[in-house]
Amino acid sequence: MILAIGMQILGLVACKHEDLTIAVPNENIRPAADFVKNNYEMRLFYAAIKKVGYVDQLNGTGPFTILAPTDEAFNRMGVYNPSDFDKMNQDSLKKVIGYHVLPRRLMVSDIPNNGIDVRYATLSDAELYVSRASTNPNGGAENELYFSGSEVIRQDVVLANGSLQVLDNVMKPNFNKTVQSWLAGQPEYSVFVSGLKKFNLWDQLAGKSEFTIFAPNNEALKNVGITSASLNEMDASKYQGDVLFGVYLLYDRHFFVSDTQVFARINSNSSFNYFLKNSGYYMTFGGGKIYPSFKLGFGLVLRPGNGPADSPIKSATGDIVAKNDNLCSNGLVHHLMDGMVTPEQALKK
Amino acid sequence: MKKNRLFQMNTSFVWLVACNFLLLTSGCVKVEYSKIKEPAYLRVFNNLNYVQTLGSKDNKVPFFCMFINPVVDASGMPVSAEIVGDFLDQRDAYAPPYPSHIGNSTSVNNPEYPGKENVLVGSILNGFDLSSWAQVPSGKVRIMFAYRPKNTVPFFQLESQLKKDILIDTTINLTNKEVYTLHLLQKDFVTKKTGVLLRQEIFHKLPLSDSLTYVNFYNMSAKGYWEADKSLKEDNFLLASFQGGMKDDMNIYLSLFEDQNLLSKQGPTIPGFKGKYFANVKLNTESPAVNPYSSFPIWASKSSNGITTNIWQRFDFFVPGMDITTNPYFGGSTDNGGNWVSVNCLQNGKIRMASNDNAAILPNVLVNIHSGKNNPATFATVNTIEVVNGKVYLTTIQRKYAPPIY
Repeated sequence: MILAIGMQILGLVACKHEDLTIAVPNENIRPAADFVKNNYEMRLFYAAIKKVGYVDQLNGTGPFTILAPTDEAFNRMGVYNPSDFDKMNQDSLKKVIGYHVLPRRLMVSDIPNNGIDVRYATLSDAELYVSRASTNPNGGAENELYFSGSEVIRQDVVLANGSLQVLDNVMKPNFNKTVQSWLAGQPEYSVFVSGLKKFNLWDQLAGKSEFTIFAPNNEALKNVGITSASLNEMDASKYQGDVLFGVYLLYDRHFFVSDTQVFARINSNSSFNYFLKNSGYYMTFGGGKIYPSFKLGFGLVLRPGNGPADSPIKSATGDIVAKNDNLCSNGLVHHLMDGMVTPEQALKK
Repeated sequence: MKKNRLFQMNTSFVWLVACNFLLLTSGCVKVEYSKIKEPAYLRVFNNLNYVQTLGSKDNKVPFFCMFINPVVDASGMPVSAEIVGDFLDQRDAYAPPYPSHIGNSTSVNNPEYPGKENVLVGSILNGFDLSSWAQVPSGKVRIMFAYRPKNTVPFFQLESQLKKDILIDTTINLTNKEVYTLHLLQKDFVTKKTGVLLRQEIFHKLPLSDSLTYVNFYNMSAKGYWEADKSLKEDNFLLASFQGGMKDDMNIYLSLFEDQNLLSKQGPTIPGFKGKYFANVKLNTESPAVNPYSSFPIWASKSSNGITTNIWQRFDFFVPGMDITTNPYFGGSTDNGGNWVSVNCLQNGKIRMASNDNAAILPNVLVNIHSGKNNPATFATVNTIEVVNGKVYLTTIQRKYAPPIY
């Protein structure tokens, strides 16, 4: 018996053990800033990180989530060369770039299913809004992700000290700026601004309540016969201001253009209908990824009412991605490419 | 020498046996079964419904954690509770006879309590399987619903500031061995007042027939819902005529259709069951009274064989003075001021009708399932159809049935 056990032990010991070589763990998985640096699609983003001095911090222990806009996204905003960042206000640039970095490792699966406007802290003082369209209860499963209105075109890139999501657009936070002060600082909307002032719609824009503004630029208003000269001559008491300029204001809501796409995925309904304030006019706001570019855009359709016989008066779109989703402290401003109402249509009866 | 060796082997053998014995005995564990003395049976539904739409994206989501007999700290924040029902989401359109969500769900969100919770459940009472009812302590219990963020973090692990938003904190009285459903409701659409409604069920005490299917109806909508402007209501096309709400007093008419593979209300009906008066329902969010059950025979169709039948049901709710023959609206009218709403009950409720229709769709109230050698066998059930604001819900209760033989 003892002999038998002894033989077994011997048998086990007799196995030949060669030195096993285990593959050396790759120590060159790059930390956040190095990864961005070595990625030719993100050269401008790296230049910006470098410019504002985030490189060492982002190569540190982290964890970080980098929301990296592609070069194409910067190009759409008119940034083509690293030197273009020199012309910008460095403090604002640092805040905007900081807004693209989260002090945590965020993977898609960490975000609640169909979570809308989930807030996460960033390196800047403002929070960003994340929407994830993951399932449609009526069937079909999607997994689209948007950060403050900007689409993620590549999800969950793993870094040594966090993760990276590739953005199709540069996010446009304006931190403590209200929609009023944002509009005031944009000369291309000057006629719109003076119109709002003339019809007593301006002061409310500095308040606390939320707005989504579809801002027509001067060119767009010219299409419906409104210029700064004609505005000066107008007698405000003869026009319905809530129609003529109120048509561009959506009260008490903050909609990113991407929300239309998100809700198209979640419940197959990408539009929102509302009556203009103090008016019977009925507006439909809708949008999504617009053919043929498949970039986000929105459309507005104005009807005299919501009955079946109320055929559309005017529709207008805004699909210049770089000019939409200007996030302010009390709402958002989107760029509208055409005017909606002519002065004649807004005459008091 | 030989004897000595034999002795040696014996001792090692004894040691081996001793070690084995030690291992076996230490492997035993005494299982302590949890037990609730003198339980009541409770099922909880969160009727505060919502639809995720663009217009309502900023609304507070009615997603709760329920506590029974909570322990709260000085600031009023619950720190523990005798019974916790976390992740209580809005209820599903269909509450099936068995808690079947447990086996096929990957989410923590619970459409009812106990639902997916692994807790002690009810026994079989008078043939009715109460596995969808949880055992809870009877007597006067404190019940609390706290708002919680919609994520997968258990309530007590949330950050403190997220645990202080209490919607309802009240006491309810539960009697030993009685069956209750508790509804979390919106009572007034204008003031947004919410509350609970505790209903003591009686189905297990009634002499119900095996060949009749029973349905009772409740309208637990908020006061002022159907009167309110359309823009204030959720927009969900799947709910068809229900999305605008229905009036406070409605008559219900039953139609039985022959074939649930024919997805049309123009299909053949069973003679005598086309728009037959069935019941009346009045708005009620205060009284816990059980509404009377109405019934129809499950073997009404001539094509049924006493084992299975393929009929389906349609319930038309009309305002008094109007019925299926005097209906002035066109067939697909979904927006008629709450005068006419309807619901089709067929298949699994997840289909769309082929014809122009104004009906919401729920599963068939008859259960067709493999039992014994019959696949399918049709079973009579006891049902509750509840209308809450723009939604309609079906709860089906079924008797215990024979397991399938393959």
